[in-house]
Amino acid sequence: MITEEFEPATDTVEEEASVEACTKCTACNTVCPVARSTDIFRGPKALGPDMERFRSPQEAAVTPGLDLCSGCKLCEVTCPSQVSIQEYIRRAQNQGAREKGRSLRDWVLGRTRLLGKLGSMTAPLANFGNSNPLFRLLMERFVGIHRRRPLPKYQWLTFERWFKRHSHGNSLPRSRGRVRVGARRKVAYFYGCWVNYNDRRLGERAVAILERNGIEVIVPSQQCCGIPAVVNSNMDLARRYGQQNVRRLTPVAQEMDIVASSTSCGLMLKHDYGHLLDIPGSERLGAKTYDIMEYLWMLHEAGELDTDFQTVPMRLLYHAPCHLKSHGIGYPAMRLLRLIPGVNLEEVDEGCCGISGTFGVKVEKYDLSMKIGSRLFEAVKAAGSDYVLADCETCRMQVEHGAGAISAHPLEILARAYGHG
Amino acid sequence: MKTDVAVIGTGLSALAAARTIQQSGRQVVLVWPGLSSLYFLFATVDVLGYPTADATEPVADPGGAVARLIEREPTHPYARAGIDAVRAGTQLMLEWFKQAGLAWEGGLDRNFLLPTATGTPKPCCLAPASMTNGDLSRPEPIVLCGFTGYQDFAPELAASNLKRQWSAAEVSAVRVTAPGYGPDRLFTSVDLARSFEDATFRDAVAAQLRERLSGDTVRVGVPGVLGLTTPNKTFAAFQRAVGHPIFEIPTVPPSVIALRLFDRLRKHLQESGIEIIWSAPAHAAQVTDGRCRNILLKAAGHELPIEAAAYVVALEDWVDGAFRAGVHTVRDPFFHRPLAWNKVPTDRTAESLFSTQPFEQVGYALTERLQPADENGKAIAQNVFCAGGAIAGYDPSGTKSRGGMAIATGYRAAREALAA
Repeated sequence: MITEEFEPATDTVEEEASVEACTKCTACNTVCPVARSTDIFRGPKALGPDMERFRSPQEAAVTPGLDLCSGCKLCEVTCPSQVSIQEYIRRAQNQGAREKGRSLRDWVLGRTRLLGKLGSMTAPLANFGNSNPLFRLLMERFVGIHRRRPLPKYQWLTFERWFKRHSHGNSLPRSRGRVRVGARRKVAYFYGCWVNYNDRRLGERAVAILERNGIEVIVPSQQCCGIPAVVNSNMDLARRYGQQNVRRLTPVAQEMDIVASSTSCGLMLKHDYGHLLDIPGSERLGAKTYDIMEYLWMLHEAGELDTDFQTVPMRLLYHAPCHLKSHGIGYPAMRLLRLIPGVNLEEVDEGCCGISGTFGVKVEKYDLSMKIGSRLFEAVKAAGSDYVLADCETCRMQVEHGAGAISAHPLEILARAYGHG
Repeated sequence: MKTDVAVIGTGLSALAAARTIQQSGRQVVLVWPGLSSLYFLFATVDVLGYPTADATEPVADPGGAVARLIEREPTHPYARAGIDAVRAGTQLMLEWFKQAGLAWEGGLDRNFLLPTATGTPKPCCLAPASMTNGDLSRPEPIVLCGFTGYQDFAPELAASNLKRQWSAAEVSAVRVTAPGYGPDRLFTSVDLARSFEDATFRDAVAAQLRERLSGDTVRVGVPGVLGLTTPNKTFAAFQRAVGHPIFEIPTVPPSVIALRLFDRLRKHLQESGIEIIWSAPAHAAQVTDGRCRNILLKAAGHELPIEAAAYVVALEDWVDGAFRAGVHTVRDPFFHRPLAWNKVPTDRTAESLFSTQPFEQVGYALTERLQPADENGKAIAQNVFCAGGAIAGYDPSGTKSRGGMAIATGYRAAREALAA
């Protein structure tokens, strides 16, 4: 009578979905943007949970087409059983790179901060080179960066240095910085490499909007979030970056919330440090991290958001980045922008844009990346708009390149409603 | 996040509830992880196919038969929803399908009898127009067409089964090749559906099929792969190219017919400003003083509370992970109450695969107003209402009533939520 020894209270109910939770329903394959664009790619089900059964820490079971997974995570968003499909593929890609070695290109692309430092120090030269056809041809031949992919412009004045000027040395928590009288809240801003080296203006906007709402902004010392290293199959490097961030930001997170204006940086801090990279103690940091639009919406629901907006008579399209879907917070940017008078906002719901960070930059993946995005480009062209909005910087790059549209972070529209340019 | 009504689930009952709430002008948010259960369970909407699970004669008038069922079984979930909800909910959905650009046919006064992928005649109340040429009340002979290498539809098997059960006319099977799908390629109905949107591919298949067909009156059944995003256009073009009436037969997941329905309705809701949060499972409800204050979603990194005046729990049973099964208990994801307890785990399944399965009966016990009830029949929370497959004590598979139940209870639960 062995069954009588158990009480219902001791009953075990699995909370974390494992590879065994996959019911082989193929829901993931139906939404995978890579699988719909090339038949070489066997789809997330086969490369994730199916192949996982044949993998061990010693053997990666690297199969053809594995490197074509762009890491959009739509498979995980779609999985009714919450299997970490993409994490299985990611680990196998990483193991494969460890066995076969990485190219110089992937080594470099994983180090966005290093690239950014060099690029911003030599900004005019770097920008000239990045837009020079001959240089780009050489780059394609010798480095493997596709010559038609527009590369981000670097700026000489980084966000870090701008913020130091802005706040008179208030860049360290608990330092002798200026204390804003009447500030109700304090947040730490995780700006990410993009804002720091390529789009300082977006960071300025973020700070202005937060300060406008009576929030004191702190910019703590930080490292690259690590996602460029993850997507270039260098998880050890990503883990090192992540550990640095956890070490530096956890004490900050004990005192205030952290906001990120880049979708994928935010997702790394919230989720991937703890899951994909197994960084101990990162849950405490993740629990205090918010996407900036998510944070502003929470502020609105608490009745603390200044909604004294100017009319912004604009026709806007919103493209929801794949990684935003993984946040599991809905689309706070759409909710916020609909508060602004004059805004005519519609979602362009055509799935992945195809660039997936550095994926669409690579010579062998550029065409695939453009094919994945083609549905979105068509829809954007057909709809017509003043701006295509996306929270993620590489989505914005791709929409501009593929659809010839002007793109912006949703914060830009909010800043406009507050009267900033 | 705050809203008027939160609907937990994205399946048919959840969509029916969301639409009902939207039409009343109130704000609604849908939450549930993953692709909806629509994708697994629905290609047609079956209101009542058989009066009981062991009946052999299909129901002719689903509307009338539900009314009779309600009289006969006053505790049946259909009786809880009420015949008015069956009628109003069905009407609401048919109008919605039309508005969303989905070509569907049928009504509560009759059932179609449509062949399944294994060749069984199945009574269905509402069906996509692309399926209704297959109605077995019509006398034309049938040719079932499969694709070489496509594993989810075997025309020979379907034809031999159908022959045994339907004697009105000839049934035969053919196979054609799908251009570009060589023997090395593993493919699903979704791949074929995308290919069918391409005119060259479509015409090449149609040309092969024309050659194999003889007789003017013959109609052709193909697996449901005729287009994913532009099905109406694709279907019409293929039918024109073949020159015979065509009908689609739904396949096992990935079911393209179900995907079309879900995708279109989801987009239609989103286009009208309704938000769907579909990667965060709800795993707790905070109940104080008999009211649910919020539900907690497991978002990335932290819990996302959804605070609403009322909640509709519209989960479709096991396939969308509604319940958590341990060795001895089955618990619900919100109140974490045991919904079923068994000493021996095999109690949950019947010996025969084809008999009524005890696990199908597991679910919430309900009050008169569709609130999940405790052991004494009292509501666990005044402002929570239940719809769809998560309701205890009925057999949607045996009586072919899952779709109608989803719509009727979704509609009624939404009405109750609006009044709460």
